[in-house]
Amino acid sequence: MAEFYDQIKDMKSVNSEELINSLEDQVSKHLDQAIMVYQNLSEAQLNKQAADGGWSIAQCLDHLNAYGDYYLPQMEKRMASSNLPSSLTFTSSWLGNYFTDMLDPDKGKRKMKAFKDYRPAVALDGHAVVAKFIQQQETFIRLLRKAHYNNINKIWIPISISRFIKMKLGDTFRFLIAHNERHVRQANRIEIKTTVQA
Amino acid sequence: MVRNIDDLKILVHQFHDLPEEDWEALSKIWTPFEAGRKEIITGMGTKEKWLYFVTEGVQRVYYYDEHGHEATIIFMYAPSFAGVLDSFLLQKPSKYYFETLTPSKFLRTSFQDLDELMRSRHNIETMIRKGLSGTISGLLERLVELQCFSSEEKFSSLLKRSPHLLQLIPHKYLANYLGIDPTNFSKLMNSIKIR
Repeated sequence: MAEFYDQIKDMKSVNSEELINSLEDQVSKHLDQAIMVYQNLSEAQLNKQAADGGWSIAQCLDHLNAYGDYYLPQMEKRMASSNLPSSLTFTSSWLGNYFTDMLDPDKGKRKMKAFKDYRPAVALDGHAVVAKFIQQQETFIRLLRKAHYNNINKIWIPISISRFIKMKLGDTFRFLIAHNERHVRQANRIEIKTTVQA
Repeated sequence: MVRNIDDLKILVHQFHDLPEEDWEALSKIWTPFEAGRKEIITGMGTKEKWLYFVTEGVQRVYYYDEHGHEATIIFMYAPSFAGVLDSFLLQKPSKYYFETLTPSKFLRTSFQDLDELMRSRHNIETMIRKGLSGTISGLLERLVELQCFSSEEKFSSLLKRSPHLLQLIPHKYLANYLGIDPTNFSKLMNSIKIR
């Protein structure tokens, strides 16, 4: 099967440095949320199902970790093996934009069903899940800082559901962070009784 | 900047009652410095050029080697001095890393500037000696805790001393600092909620 390079229709160009900086700000917010709130919750709070029967905080984060498990090493590997000079501007591809918009909680309001391999287990070790999420966001920030010296327009990352389809590094960053934002918001909607710390 | 220099003044006067003209001279050698989250400010093998005074954020000094051993030696936050102190004072390559854990702001001064003041002004040298004596006391106490205390005791001692760290930095660094397993640390976190 031929590999499908997603560049059917090009979108508007943006300044690479500004894009990477704004993405780092978003990851930083997710990390702050995990450090300030999630890691200080009890196992019971982390595993509490949402009122509508939806995912718990631990399940939301475990779902995101599953994506990080695939994409972070992929991006790291391809960034390390590329010696292309950085590009001043970044142009989102059609597919990259489509994925990002679909996952962006402000744009894609539609409820989606997670792919089979990405459905979290019912009972989770909540603190281990949060610790992993924090570890991944730290890695993400490290990669974004490194990305200032990489070509986010010309490094291609195979997507997790079909390795034959490749997406630009810059779009991979964008859609992963939109996806993180979506489920961090979902986690934040779960009402948990906060106990006063001893 | 003005307020930060005032905080520094309060700290050095806690160490030693500096005459005004000595403080005047000392206050002139500091420059502002900033770093983002998780940035290594001083790496292993490099000489610590600066003494830092923290005005914002949390940092740590840690040991890391090729076998993957990691030891968080100390956390630093406002208002206190920071940096790899032994490398700074001895002007020898650092055996440790000094990194930010949250976005941080500092005032800092070079070894040359501080050294010159210590040579020319007896009171400033005394202030530094007294400050370091306090640091040594703290380190000795920590050694006792590390060797004698159980995980529960170390955890509750940390909660008493610096409870704000729980919401500021990932718990893995706190667990590493206490020398306990991260899994054990979450169990201890859970137990304080139930009580």
